Amino acid sequence: MDLAFTPEEQQFRTEIRAWVRDNLPADISHKVHNALRLSRDDMQRWAKILGKKGWLGHAWPKQFGGPGWNSVQKHLFEEECALAGAPRVVPFGPVMVAPVIMAFGNAEQQQRFLPGIASGEVWWSQGYSEPGSGSDLASVKTRAERQGDKYIVNGQKTWTTLGQYGEWIFCLVRTSNEGKPQTGISFLLIDMKSPGVSVRPIVLLDGEAEVNEVFFDNVEVPAANLIGEENKGWTYAKHLLSHERTNIADVNRSKRELERLKRIAKAEGVYEDVRFRDEIARLEVEVVALEMLVLRVLAAEKSGKQSLDIAGLLKIRGSELQQRYAELMMLAAGPYAVPLVQEAMEAGWQGDHVGAAHCAPLASTYFNLRKTTIYGGSNEVQRNIVSQVVLG
Amino acid sequence: MDFDFSDDQEQLRDAVRKWVDKGYSFERHRAAVKAGGFSRAAYGEIAELGLCGLYIGEAHGGLGMGPVEGMVVMEELGRGIVLEPFAQTLIAGGVLSGYATPALQTEWLPKIASGEALVVLAQQERAARYRLDRCDATASASGSAWSLNGTKSIVPAGDQADAFIVPARVGDKIALFLVRRDATGVRTRGYGTQDGGRAAEVVFQNATASLITTDGLTALEHAVDIGIAACCAEAVGVMDKTMAITAEYLNTRKQFGVVISSFQALRHRAADMKMQLELARSMSYYASLKLNAPAPERRAAMARAKVQLGQSMRFVGQQAVQLHGGIGVTDEYIVSHYFKKLTQLELTYGDTLHHLGEVSARMEDTAGVFA
Repeated sequence: MDLAFTPEEQQFRTEIRAWVRDNLPADISHKVHNALRLSRDDMQRWAKILGKKGWLGHAWPKQFGGPGWNSVQKHLFEEECALAGAPRVVPFGPVMVAPVIMAFGNAEQQQRFLPGIASGEVWWSQGYSEPGSGSDLASVKTRAERQGDKYIVNGQKTWTTLGQYGEWIFCLVRTSNEGKPQTGISFLLIDMKSPGVSVRPIVLLDGEAEVNEVFFDNVEVPAANLIGEENKGWTYAKHLLSHERTNIADVNRSKRELERLKRIAKAEGVYEDVRFRDEIARLEVEVVALEMLVLRVLAAEKSGKQSLDIAGLLKIRGSELQQRYAELMMLAAGPYAVPLVQEAMEAGWQGDHVGAAHCAPLASTYFNLRKTTIYGGSNEVQRNIVSQVVLG
Repeated sequence: MDFDFSDDQEQLRDAVRKWVDKGYSFERHRAAVKAGGFSRAAYGEIAELGLCGLYIGEAHGGLGMGPVEGMVVMEELGRGIVLEPFAQTLIAGGVLSGYATPALQTEWLPKIASGEALVVLAQQERAARYRLDRCDATASASGSAWSLNGTKSIVPAGDQADAFIVPARVGDKIALFLVRRDATGVRTRGYGTQDGGRAAEVVFQNATASLITTDGLTALEHAVDIGIAACCAEAVGVMDKTMAITAEYLNTRKQFGVVISSFQALRHRAADMKMQLELARSMSYYASLKLNAPAPERRAAMARAKVQLGQSMRFVGQQAVQLHGGIGVTDEYIVSHYFKKLTQLELTYGDTLHHLGEVSARMEDTAGVFA
């Protein structure tokens, strides 16, 4: 047992830190550190910088052009990026669909799709949820009917995050109604510029259109875009969902936001208020405990010796803490979190802030992060999974 | 970074677990409670396993092992809700090895390591609550010896132990002393504790004392930190077993014609208990792995750990009783005894609110496992 990273790992961290410092554009990290709105360009600019270095697919194995890092190196990379104020990598391409293409796609598909994902050129979206399929994904209804060498797709996806920017979308589609719901699902890659695809933004409670509805009206999709075998899509979807389970806790971001919470609490004069300060202290303990939990999972992955039954806890706890820091930030500003002025959350806005500039995005972030305990399998579904570990 | 146990550590765990499973049944536990809450015979068996010298160097007949070994042993003793205050032996071994004069070490460490002597920390005073710098007991030099006056509370097995490690004020500084129970001027009054164990009021009236160190607060903080890490590890063992007992009950007990583990409300509660247990285990590792860090870092880590452990213990203990229903609140059934052990451990060496205050007072701009 040893808490410390090895000298090699510490050296690795130092190198990553230096590279991020030299390559992360200051205007982008300024926005992240202050929770200001990020544009499509901001996100893609950073993705392309990473892509050029070969790190956008930082979890990819070497054979597909990734750095081949182990679990601890991946964690250190993610931590250095998060603490420096890098935007989260939009995961749909490099983190979600790419591993599926690597594992189940054919050579032609790998050559066709992976380079655009690795470089950050092509923006991917996720087509999983439907109006009738939230946590119960196996109930998808969007139909894909085989006609010769193509599929005809009809139906609707929803909650498509940043789908307004999407160029390609990976979808779970129903290709059969035989047998159990899970057995008739296929995994299809669809060009969002295809005739019949339309995207409609959904304005969320924070006033932003972060997610979308995507409609498919007799969309023709070449059969060559089917991943693996027809009706085996559920297996591939599960593979996708099992990826990157440690980063789902997003503990590095919580560490950064805990720092911001302290800055805000000081500026608002509540840091010296024992009642408020103790709430921050409690969150600090919870963040450290979550980080220890994450490190245990990483170490077990690295050594391969222990089999841990705790990975399912990471999503629950990580999402709860994200909501908690956002809540405390808002409470720190108190009445000055009440104004909700969209323009004031844009970098460089020249208008008069109510209270202070740091107050402007607090309510918006609080509202936005209510999603975290709902998406990726709601926390109630996660508890079902954890309870299976405990009770069988 | 590595959270695997070595083969030697696994063997140590197996040895303790074997003794707990075979030698420390719930019936024996119950008999020990009835007999006053402390069994010298059971303590002797722990000593026979060689455990008492864990934190004592080989030169003094010990094993010279570290905090991870201490943690492993405490987890296993916790699993069996063992009453004998083994954490005190870790504290005494650690503190005397670290701070006592060579003469005192030579006199006491071999006896502690062999189990012949049980030495316990007697720091609690009525007005201090959990503050270690608050001490009303006093000591004064009389010739080459010291004389100690004061009253200490809730001293583990205080009327059975052979000697006490006692903080007392010398002028405006706290020094640490060793006082034999059979020294003149020592009176004890024993009583039972929540967990069925034993403690005592110990009154020192011009009692003959040996000086351990004049830098008493430093040594006392270290002693309590060894105690906190031990407490955390013990609690993990207690919670682990509490979880297992509860899971088995949920999978056995039938109501409305089905096993109650089929009810989602109960399943989610079990998932929440598992969450608290694993957060606690993580922070127990953290505490033990920070026990040899420089004092400020060590103190901060113990406070963080005890906040998490305190929250987890309270939740797991209370919910274990709740999920058992009526049988959970009986003395006859085992789970209430695990609940009471957890309750007592939260109150030992600083409860959740106390340590939350410690964390709060120490907060820096950044925070994390490595900050």
